[in-house]
Amino acid sequence: MPDPVYLDNAATTPVDPRVLEAMLPHLGATRGNPSSLHARGVAAREAVEAARGHVAALLGASPEEIFFTAGGTEADNVAVFGLARAADPGKRHAVVSGVEHAAVREAARRLEAEGFEVSWVGVDEYGLVDPAEFAAALRPDTALASVVWANNEIGTVQPVRELADACARRGIPFHTDAVQAAGRLSLDVREAAVSTLAISGHKIYGPQGVGALYVRGGTDIEPVVFGGGQEQGLRSGTENVAGIAGLGEAARLAREELGERVRHEAALRDRVISGVRGLPDVELNGHPELRLSNNAHFTVRGVGAESLVLVLDSLGYAIGSGSACSGGGHQASGVLLALGRDEQDALSAARITVGKDNTAGEVDGFLEAFAGAVGRLRELSPVYAG
Amino acid sequence: MAEAYNPKVIDHLVRPRHAGHLEEPSGRGESGDAACGDVAVFSVQIRENEVEEARYEVFGCAACVAAGSALAELVHGKPLLEAARVSKADVEEALGGPLPQGKGHALTLVLDALHKAFEDHWSRTAAAGLVDGYVGGGGAGEGGVVAAMSGGVDSAVTALLLKEAGQDVAAVTFRLHDGERGSRSCCSPDTVLFARDTAHRMGLPHFTLNLKELFNKRVMQDFVGSYEKGRTPNPCVACNAHVKFHAAAFLADELGFRHVATGHYARVAEGPSLARPVDESKDQTYVLWPIPKELLARAVFPLGDYRKSEVRRIAEDRGLAVAYTPESQDICFIPDGDYRRFVRKTVSAEPGEVVDREGVVLGRHAGVVDFTVGQRRGIGVSAPTPLYVTEVRPKSKQVVVGRRRDLEVREVRVRDLNWFLPPEEASSVQVRYNGGPVACEVEGDGEGGWIARLQEPVMGVAAGQSAVFYSADGGRVVGGGVVAPGGE
Repeated sequence: MPDPVYLDNAATTPVDPRVLEAMLPHLGATRGNPSSLHARGVAAREAVEAARGHVAALLGASPEEIFFTAGGTEADNVAVFGLARAADPGKRHAVVSGVEHAAVREAARRLEAEGFEVSWVGVDEYGLVDPAEFAAALRPDTALASVVWANNEIGTVQPVRELADACARRGIPFHTDAVQAAGRLSLDVREAAVSTLAISGHKIYGPQGVGALYVRGGTDIEPVVFGGGQEQGLRSGTENVAGIAGLGEAARLAREELGERVRHEAALRDRVISGVRGLPDVELNGHPELRLSNNAHFTVRGVGAESLVLVLDSLGYAIGSGSACSGGGHQASGVLLALGRDEQDALSAARITVGKDNTAGEVDGFLEAFAGAVGRLRELSPVYAG
Repeated sequence: MAEAYNPKVIDHLVRPRHAGHLEEPSGRGESGDAACGDVAVFSVQIRENEVEEARYEVFGCAACVAAGSALAELVHGKPLLEAARVSKADVEEALGGPLPQGKGHALTLVLDALHKAFEDHWSRTAAAGLVDGYVGGGGAGEGGVVAAMSGGVDSAVTALLLKEAGQDVAAVTFRLHDGERGSRSCCSPDTVLFARDTAHRMGLPHFTLNLKELFNKRVMQDFVGSYEKGRTPNPCVACNAHVKFHAAAFLADELGFRHVATGHYARVAEGPSLARPVDESKDQTYVLWPIPKELLARAVFPLGDYRKSEVRRIAEDRGLAVAYTPESQDICFIPDGDYRRFVRKTVSAEPGEVVDREGVVLGRHAGVVDFTVGQRRGIGVSAPTPLYVTEVRPKSKQVVVGRRRDLEVREVRVRDLNWFLPPEEASSVQVRYNGGPVACEVEGDGEGGWIARLQEPVMGVAAGQSAVFYSADGGRVVGGGVVAPGGE
């Protein structure tokens, strides 16, 4: 069987060959530790700092505002716990959206368990946070707020600038998980008053296991990982030099190719949406316009998501069911439930996320396979009347 | 995290066998709940005890879809007894081995849907016949035994002993009412599921018969009605008289089997008649007296030869999960034991007077359904000596109370008799489940009823309870009947 057509780019993207090229020198016998004083150490340090420059450029930040982590989840955790611990002891309240990625959601739940009060801000039927509702939840004792820039399941893009401004006016640190947004939206921290922002390497054609946290200069944040004091003491531990070099190259390419990628992805995404909408009893989830360029997310009535994914896999097409992290367990998508959908709808979700390397021909082949798989699964579905 | 599926699971998912539904099935069953994420439906065409066709539909995870396909393939075209033996382990094996962690529910789901289709098939076959009280055809086969399984240790060991004795055994569980533990929610333990699992682990075919209508009419309504009439019902007796043995015999006849077995502690003696079991402390002959003679001739009670402690040991030795289940409650459809609340849910009790034997009003009560003869507590009248309910008069809404000795009777009138042996052989009578037999002489009342003259007085004989007559050596049940109201 030929390589499957990969349409699950929100789960992870393929590594760009240019990224792999940038990583290789740091995986071989001559790699060094950036903390060492000798030539090998200096070479490693230079690679890390060059990468920091590229990530900073992608975000419109200064290099010293970029902190490398072991991925998006760690960046989110460092931000949530770091901001919470740095807040005045009297500030024990957080405002968090109801459609966060698990990395923020579970961190916030942990804060709750530690005695924080968390206001969970709901969303409308498209998954959008209402800025007025969000602002109303902010209080004098609010230690931090967090809203995902673009949701990982349904791709809805939040009014982050407005939300961040509301926090900035009150002096409340605002974190955003931009893992899905990076490489698909312009994330300029000079225009969005975010305090911290998390990105991940493997969602932008870089390596897995590496990410970065942007921390605006002057933001009070405490470390949660202690050790050798790397990354200005915020994230100790010998740097993942190869990973960071890969992330740096991925960030450089994302910045350079952003416009081209977005145009390409959006065209394919719209091709997916119009094709799938030609089937009966499917519904597009998320916002019709305010959505990521690569995301098409549907409720396919009468069809179990997991079965659909596996049947399509057997036909040579890789797609996602809800979020990759809950796709393995038998549980409905929390985001769809947050939109007010019932359990059955939430279990019938299909996420198709295109990438820069997909083609129109692949999409057309997918649409045919998709229609066939849905038809067959509906034939044996007792809950689909058809 | 996602655990990969076996290639056989994917194969069944991608190339489903026997998917869809039959337009005119002989049975259809559905299990699961869309809100839980999984629904499975089976439709079957059964003719002459063969599953000619089986079709399935599933909404749910891939494991459920694949399990439906594998199960349909395993039972399609198979003899019914073989199909009813297919277990969760068999389906799992057909899917290439253990399912990923957390996917085991798929096996339970599809098997339950198939068995509900079988259950529906039997309901359609039985139609009105079973509801009206089935006594059984004469054309039953020579061998084979239908063993009733409740999910408890006694009935499980019964089936096991029969199987180990080389008999062809089919296990059956009766769906009697909606009060079984957890039966309302989709993912919780269920008596029927548990019994089926136990039968399958022993390698036995298992069926479920839906007897809710029959049980409601003959047992639950009778139970409530008795209290309305001021009588004290015995629902186990009513079930044995009208439900359990008839249904088992119906299934036996359908399968061409001769015998029916239950986990009662009793023995079948010549005649046929009932005899007390080896373990006298577990003796259940008192509730078995109403079995029609033609059904008793087909009944076997393997536990009659065992002590309860031996039964538990057998269950432990064979590794049956039921070995440690607690003893069942007195009344299966009232799990909390609060029978007054149960009765009051159905009937509106009207207040009335509490009177003494001379008719002097001593107080008021909230309804005659709250009282039973012999009752001492909850009368609500204070008196220097303890008061007992001596009579309940539903027509005048009166509860008559008296002293303890007012409860003594020396004569019991018995109706609705079922004799296994000539009545003259009766030498003692038992009038309460936990009371021993009392020596007596019997004579006919000329109207089909019998009168037992007791050699010593007995306390609190309540109308509606059973009176069971035993032989001179005490070992055999001569017959039994229902205690009639004293004044009538």
